[in-house]
Amino acid sequence: MLNIALKMLMGDRVKYLGLALGIGFATLLMTQQTSIFIGLLTWGANPVLDVREAQVWVMDPRVRQADQPEALSDQALYRVRSVDGVAWAAPYFRGPSTLRSADGALAAVTLIGVDNQSLIGLPPANRAEAANAIRGRNAIVIDRGTAHLVFPDGRDPVGQTAEINDNRVTITGETRALTTFAGLPIVFMKYTDAISITPPERNKLSFVLVGARDGVSPADLAARIEAQTGLRALTRDQFARAGVDFIINNTGIPLSFGIAIGLGVLVAVVITALTLAMFITENLKNFGALKAIGVTNQQILQMVMGQAWLVGFIGYGLGIGGTAAFIFFGRNDPSLQGFSLHWQVVAGAALVVFVIVSASAFFSVRRVLKMDPAIVFRG
Amino acid sequence: MEFPSGAGSIRVLHRVSLDVAYGAMTFLVGPSGSGKTTMLSILSGTLSPTDGAVEVMGERLDQMRDAELVRFRRRRIGFIFQQYNLIGTLTAAENAAIPLIADGTKTETATRRATDVLAQLGLADHAWKLPRQLSGGQQQRVAIARALVHEPALIVCDEPTAALDAEAGQGVMRLLEDAAKSPDRAVLVVTHDDRIYRFADRILHIEDGRIAPDADHGEPRHAH
Repeated sequence: MLNIALKMLMGDRVKYLGLALGIGFATLLMTQQTSIFIGLLTWGANPVLDVREAQVWVMDPRVRQADQPEALSDQALYRVRSVDGVAWAAPYFRGPSTLRSADGALAAVTLIGVDNQSLIGLPPANRAEAANAIRGRNAIVIDRGTAHLVFPDGRDPVGQTAEINDNRVTITGETRALTTFAGLPIVFMKYTDAISITPPERNKLSFVLVGARDGVSPADLAARIEAQTGLRALTRDQFARAGVDFIINNTGIPLSFGIAIGLGVLVAVVITALTLAMFITENLKNFGALKAIGVTNQQILQMVMGQAWLVGFIGYGLGIGGTAAFIFFGRNDPSLQGFSLHWQVVAGAALVVFVIVSASAFFSVRRVLKMDPAIVFRG
Repeated sequence: MEFPSGAGSIRVLHRVSLDVAYGAMTFLVGPSGSGKTTMLSILSGTLSPTDGAVEVMGERLDQMRDAELVRFRRRRIGFIFQQYNLIGTLTAAENAAIPLIADGTKTETATRRATDVLAQLGLADHAWKLPRQLSGGQQQRVAIARALVHEPALIVCDEPTAALDAEAGQGVMRLLEDAAKSPDRAVLVVTHDDRIYRFADRILHIEDGRIAPDADHGEPRHAH
């Protein structure tokens, strides 16, 4: 009877296509918005994840995420280095600044100062070239992904001179930083250069980046540093997670995306439930005839479920395909960097679609299951 | 048989009993609301009586569970409905094959058998057409094929010519007449259409839920 059911469904092209496209659109909405949401959350973690060498981040106890540092005194670096289990500790500056290009255009940037010797803090991408480029005095390395925000005319930034806080700098190289939630262009300098061109303040050290000695776990080391220095110390994963939590707890993003994803679910429910109910209602007499002829309730349930699952599967495939295409074709766009279709999203959407079409089909077909087959003899 | 109505109920059939002979076509006629459709529904096992016994072809329908009733209908009854009730997105052959497919016959086998029956009914060239591509008479012939395909012992027809013009109606009745000639098959027709009374072997009149003694309703072929 399943063949019969599928032919019944596919023969009614308007409803079949309407259902498939409706579920497809809803799946697209759910998976695309979820992928973007996860991508945005990842951006909150990216300032930390981009510094792969650092196993522990040490900061002022008031700091909540990497883009809002509270300056530490230079003494903090030495105090951290004195903690047992620390293999190395490097200074790290991170703060907002303004960059004026040679033609006078002003751009807000995130200025990062990395340790002069180890260059810890420089992104791993294009590392060797960036390391060579950053060595000179007042040399800056710019993030290729966001350089267009400084030079919107598309000119090659390397070789350009500019000013940061009225200090002349030269762009000597490019790197590729992970996109951050702040979305500002990112420029890298040596730590000493960075603190020398930023406005005078008593303290400028944003973070101390720490590597653990062999055999010492980052979590244990973080606990030791906290106990011994009174500063806050978080493992890489903990601090990355704090960046994600900051977005979740302090922005309207979860609510906005929650609404969009909820709308996707709602669209799926409404379209599926209404169309299936309409399909059943229009075929009520035929179902009555089938029941009279001797088709069992179980067979009718299988027929309607088969129809719903097929159309759900096709619609789901269309939606997932749309999201995959969106991510694939946007992979080189910096504003979409880090967005990917996680298997959990794929599986979750499959489950949601399955539940929606199954429930819609079941509630629609209940009328038929309860229906007296003698209805077919009535006018 | 009673149906709920307002605070009480209406008794539709009163202690009725009828014999439908094998190899013959029996007509059940009567005015609207007389109980003929209810009678047809009970005899075909699509409706259970509120009280009393229903015995059809030696089987007590009133004692059957739902699953047994479904099996009884599927194997022993052929249905022909007033509005054909063909599924619009299935071909004539697929529509006619449904009783066999529902009973577990493979789709290919069932469709082949349905095609043979359609050919016997003069629809060999129309087996792969959709109902909307067929005339009303042709659609009713597909419905007859669906009623015959599983070789049931009893065929029940609810106003089989009501939606057809006179010529198509006569054609359909001739096919039913042929179907009724089988010695192990009975055909029961509920109708208002006195133009087809001449096809009846026997005519039973039902009024106010009671079957009247056999009466002359025009020109039945012969009375039992």
